[in-house]
Amino acid sequence: MTATTSADARQTPPDPVPGSASRRLSGMLPGLLLVAPALTAIGLLYAAPLVRSLVTAFVGADGTFTFANLEKALEFYGADILFSILVTLASLALIAATSIAIAGYLTLGQSRWAVPLLRWMYRWPLFIPFIVAGQTARSFLARNGMLNTLLADAGVLDAAAAQSLLDWRGLVLTFAWKQVPFVTLLLAGAMASLDRSTIEAARNLGASRLRCLFEIVLPQVRPQLFVALVLSLVTLLSVLSVPVMLISGNPTMMTAMMAHRVTYYGDYAVANALGLFSYLLTAAAAWAYLRMSLKEKANP
Amino acid sequence: MGTEALSLEGVSIRLGKTLVLDRISLEVPAGSFTCLLGPSGCGKTTLLRSIAGFAPLAAGDIKVGGNSIATLAPEARQTAMVFQSYALWPHMSVAGNLTYPLKLRGLPKAEREKRANAILSLLGLEGYGPRAVTSLSGGQRQRVALGRALIIDPPLLLLDEPLSNLDASIRRSLRGELRRLQQKVGITTIMVTHDQDEALAMADRIVLMRDGQIVQVAGPEDLYSAPADLGAAQFLGVDNVLAVAPDDPAAQGATLVGFRTEDARVFTDDMEHPDAPALARKGKVTTCAYAGGGYQVGIDVAGESLSACSARPVSPGDDALLSVPASMLMSFDANTRLLQGIRH
Ligand SMILES: Nc1ncnc2c1ncn2[C@@H]1O[C@H](COP(=O)(O)OP(=O)(O)OP(=O)(O)O)[C@@H](O)[C@H]1O
Ligand SMILES: [Mg+2]
Repeated sequence: MTATTSADARQTPPDPVPGSASRRLSGMLPGLLLVAPALTAIGLLYAAPLVRSLVTAFVGADGTFTFANLEKALEFYGADILFSILVTLASLALIAATSIAIAGYLTLGQSRWAVPLLRWMYRWPLFIPFIVAGQTARSFLARNGMLNTLLADAGVLDAAAAQSLLDWRGLVLTFAWKQVPFVTLLLAGAMASLDRSTIEAARNLGASRLRCLFEIVLPQVRPQLFVALVLSLVTLLSVLSVPVMLISGNPTMMTAMMAHRVTYYGDYAVANALGLFSYLLTAAAAWAYLRMSLKEKANP
Repeated sequence: MGTEALSLEGVSIRLGKTLVLDRISLEVPAGSFTCLLGPSGCGKTTLLRSIAGFAPLAAGDIKVGGNSIATLAPEARQTAMVFQSYALWPHMSVAGNLTYPLKLRGLPKAEREKRANAILSLLGLEGYGPRAVTSLSGGQRQRVALGRALIIDPPLLLLDEPLSNLDASIRRSLRGELRRLQQKVGITTIMVTHDQDEALAMADRIVLMRDGQIVQVAGPEDLYSAPADLGAAQFLGVDNVLAVAPDDPAAQGATLVGFRTEDARVFTDDMEHPDAPALARKGKVTTCAYAGGGYQVGIDVAGESLSACSARPVSPGDDALLSVPASMLMSFDANTRLLQGIRH
């Protein structure tokens, strides 16, 4: 440790010539020019609106700093915030379980036809927009929708007892249907790039394929699974079309309420206060992810 | 579990369109150390993988202790394989790697730890239990991989070039260590290698393979002194081949003779010549390189380049006599089959 520090110190002696700082700056100029367009775009298109909307959440009608918007958001939409959190967590759990099952089967499955078929099929929902997914889910999950009709025809369900799934269950199912391919894509890719002999060694020493999945494969791809889930969380928290199409009434997802606040009341302050909660949620997930990856780097 | 004999009966394996193993039949006695030796791509790894259950058989049967294992899943075969790439589980510690196979067998924690410690001291890795496997050197990883296979006391140990990634000195010491360990535990072992010295030094029996077929099964001395044919001989270091001349001390009916460089001597005019019966050829020195303890000399004999040893340096361009003791010659017939090997 000390050796490196002294070596570093030797390599960068204090500026002997005045004006070398400006020379160094001119040396950086080409680099600055190269990143400038990207930086400007991020600044203007992303950072500025973000900061503006964050600030708006704390500005009252009279232009002064206030927590009133946040309080109002919590008071009016507290239930929706909780609903959003629960639905998102339930969706992520379902997404994780399904993706692990699919990616695990793609990696460890031995069937000559089922594996290629699954590999070919699982990506399709990736290419279907959320709004189409929402529309499809609506006609599929409604009280007299296709699912219940099928179940009734099969004799599993009494048609009279059929109930609509167009509530939190519909949301969770639709979100999962739309996000599973994405998470599976990342997860199956990570599993495919594992050293295959670690899997064979485990099976050779007596691990069944299921144990192999949970004790050998999954621990090695945990970081990639986590990234995929954090990215999915951000997506789910920003989808508007699905809750608008599936849920009528309260509680619903925060995005729907934000849209409602803006379109019906032109109330950007409270909408932005709601947005702040979305940011906080994703930030918490990102923080947890960073912490995990740092810990993993510290002791591999 | 105790050690078991292994038998392969007409095993064929097809990978893609190629027939990688072609009707291999082999008996491996219980408790023996067998080496699979052969050039790259001849199917050694594939043979090992077929025994472990990772390569489905196109034909034939594999039996351990008299029972067929051909249709069993890899995890049900009770073989223990050490992979060429170590295949340690990077998310587990050294102790975790060693005890996982025991955990799979439902052993209680205390027993698992006891066995892991015993294996660690057997391998000279005391105190390494809590270390991350990624922090180990190649030789240490190799030993952990070996320990992980031995800890389940398998009836059959399969080693795929376990020493190939190590440097020469670790390799030598591990060679001895591995052999001692195998004898101590008495486990039936099959080791793949493409290093003939390794096979000769370690094996009870060597199985020489070529193009997915077995060429010869023999003990190290027999294989070294009497390889089945010219191809096998060349793989085992017989690097000089000559057409037989009328008064050569070759076997009856031989058309070709072969010998190893280290068995041949070069003499220039100022040196004393041998009197013992020998194959002798006159030629010109082309190269002379120091080879540790002596010189390796290239010599051109009527357009054929041969090589031999010399205790003293000789100069390229000199006239020289190449001489091989009759007992060190191998004679081959017109079909390159061996007629007579080295006689000690
Ligand atoms: N999955 C596969 N599909 C098609 N051919 C394969 C496959 N795996 C191996 N082969 C072929 O099978 C032959 C034997 O391979 P194998 O790995 O058993 O050789 P090896 O004797 O272990 O060689 P090495 O000493 O280089 O490890 C090779 O010619 C190889 O190209
Ligand atoms: Mg190989």
